[in-house]
Parts: sequence; structure tokens; C-alpha cells
Amino acid sequence: MTLHIEPITGRYAHMEMNGHMHRIYWEEAGRGIPLVCLHTAGSDGRQYRAILNDPEVTRNYRVMVFDMPRHGKSSPAPGTVDQEYQLTSDAYVEQILAFVQAMELDQPVVMGCSIGGRIVLHLAHEHPEKFRALIGLQSSDHVDPYYDTGWLNRSDVHGGQVCGAVAYGLMAPQSPVADRQETRWHYMQGGPGVFKGDLWFYKVDGDISDQVAAIDPEKCPLYLLTGEYDYSCTPADTKSLADRLGIDMTVMAEMGHFPMSENPEKFLTYLRPVLNKIR
Amino acid sequence: MFSALENNAGPGSPLAAQAPHCTTTMMLSDQENETLISIQNGVVTSVTNGPFVMPSWTFRLTASPSEWQAFLEATPKPGSHDLMAMLRRGVLRFEGDLHPLMSNFLYFKRLLASLRPGPGMGDGE
Repeated sequence: MTLHIEPITGRYAHMEMNGHMHRIYWEEAGRGIPLVCLHTAGSDGRQYRAILNDPEVTRNYRVMVFDMPRHGKSSPAPGTVDQEYQLTSDAYVEQILAFVQAMELDQPVVMGCSIGGRIVLHLAHEHPEKFRALIGLQSSDHVDPYYDTGWLNRSDVHGGQVCGAVAYGLMAPQSPVADRQETRWHYMQGGPGVFKGDLWFYKVDGDISDQVAAIDPEKCPLYLLTGEYDYSCTPADTKSLADRLGIDMTVMAEMGHFPMSENPEKFLTYLRPVLNKIR
Repeated sequence: MFSALENNAGPGSPLAAQAPHCTTTMMLSDQENETLISIQNGVVTSVTNGPFVMPSWTFRLTASPSEWQAFLEATPKPGSHDLMAMLRRGVLRFEGDLHPLMSNFLYFKRLLASLRPGPGMGDGE
């Protein structure tokens, strides 16, 4: 039997982010236009495993996925592990720009999901000239709090279990069991307080509803795709955003909040045409 | 509507094994009728239909009959497929001491999903 080795490489790079030197883990595959992918709150770059493995994508794109500090294989900066973690819009934008600069990427495409889908709106607002195009998955300009995120980080509740249970319900029942379970496992492995701290950006600090009118999709093309089973960022939320931006959006049938991870093969049928258009 | 829970999470069942430290009393309500569920170490030991005069419960989940029916479809529609999705739409209410619920959240989601038609835990897993 031939050993199946994936074409993905994973390495560490040292770069400054948010005033600290970080040892950032990233994975990449392919050649061509840089495509930087941003994982969801409380998870890591493994969510993009299928995109990194898709020859149709990697034929023309250099797909790069970094784990944000505190996520996946990127540890917190030395001396900060016990600090309360709250992701802010400024810190998140800075992380992306730092990665792009450190990797010497020229006008990359950035694709983000959930918090990543929100931050691409910030990039479109603040730095449209730096990007070839932006892709927002599960992208909305704000979300009103609908549950107490305090349950995600309490000493008397297992954080991995509760975060996994939240992620479980965000997926579509039609998505393949193995991919749903892998997606849930990433959440079960998150560090204490990380999911909650990311949601500070998603639900509070990252609200960009006041700046949507100032985003000009002519300066940087913006593509929005949302799974129909996502209750956190519903298709209606993305449609409302798209209408205000004057652009189209795509509803992905039978898919939830983690399209690239919960049903990668189906997601690729939506993503490839977008990437072909950008190219 | 909820009487099958005693069979679905009986002693030695895969569902009961998911919450070995969970002992609590849950009230399920469809706004007109109430059902009291007793759980010992993940095993549903009794399902008692109301009306009750002085019921004691640790936490209560309340939704309308049509919302519970939508949740219990074999393949629920978006927004009805998960307890948190129903919470987001404001059609499900969590009340009481939520610690047993939130510390065994996947167990309770699956416990209720087990009432859907079809094999397994009602979620395809």
C-alpha cells in the first residue's frame, strides 16, 4: 500500500504581532496568487485542510493558513499565558498585516470565516489597497449577543466539552459525520478562554455596522458566502450586509457555520468558481 | 412527546455513557404541558407527564408545540436543528440552574435529538 502523504507543509516563523514576538505556525500548499485563510473563533488552521489539499485550488493559488496566537500550534506570547484574552479589531487586523508583511506577500487574497468573515470587512474598510480580493464566509457586520459566553470558560465546566457542544449545533445535519466530528474536535482542543476571548471581537469590539457604508467594493472585490444552517450568522444577516454593500451573496445549501471544515468537498464547489473569477 | 427518553438513555446506553456525572431533574414544557425528566448518572430514570401541583426541577426548557415538533423532524430545517439555534431565534427558553445543562451540553442536545425518527442519536453520529 502506498503511503498517502499530503502536499501540505507546516512550519514556524518568528514575527512581531501586537507588541510581542510570536512563534507562529502556518501551513501552506500550492503556487501562484497568495490566498491567506483565517480560521474561526476558538479553532485553528486545520479547518482549511481540504483547501490546502485541493489540486484545482493549489494549481493557481499559494494557500497559506496561520494559527492565530493562542490557537492551534501558535502559543501565547511568553509571559502572557495567564492574562485574560480578549481579541480586538485592531489586534486582529495587525496580526493579518504582520503575517502578510513577514511572508512578503504581494496583494494576497484573504478568505476568512466567522470572525475571519468579519475581519475581512475591517480589511475592506481600512486597507482595501493591500488586497487583491476578500472572501467572507459566514460574514455579517454584527451579531447581537444571544447567549452568555461566560459558560465557555468556567472552572466548574469543562471548556473543551462545552465549546465542542456549541460548535456541534452550528453545523448542518447533512454534513458528513467524519468532518463534523473533526470540526468539533478542533473546538474541544482549544485553550481555556480562547473561544470566549475571540467572541469578544465577534460580538462586541468587531461590530462594524457603523462603517459598512464606507466600504467600497470597487476598491477591493468582496465575495460573501454563507451556509444556510448557520444560526450565528444567518443567510439573512449576510444578505442584509450584501444589500448595503451593493454586492451579491451566495447561500450555500445544507451547510452551516464551518463550510470549509464541516463539508469541504461541497464547499469547494462554491469556492472554485470564486477563485477562478478572482484569477 | 418526550416519553421515549427513558428507553433512549437507559442503563448501559451510549447516551447515558456520555454524561456519567450528570444527576439532575429537567422540566420540558410546550407551554401547555410539562414533563419532568429525572436523570441519574446520565441514565433517564423516569419521565413523568404533568400536570404537577408543586414540581421541583433544576432547569426547564420551554418551547411551543410547533417548535418542538420542528426540532424533532428527522432532518430539521435551519434554525430548528439545535437547541442554541432555537435560543437564537427566541423560541426556546432556558430557565433555572443551568449548570447541569451547560456542563453536559452535548449530552442534552443529543438526548432530545434521540427523539427524532431514525436510528442512533438522531444526529447521524
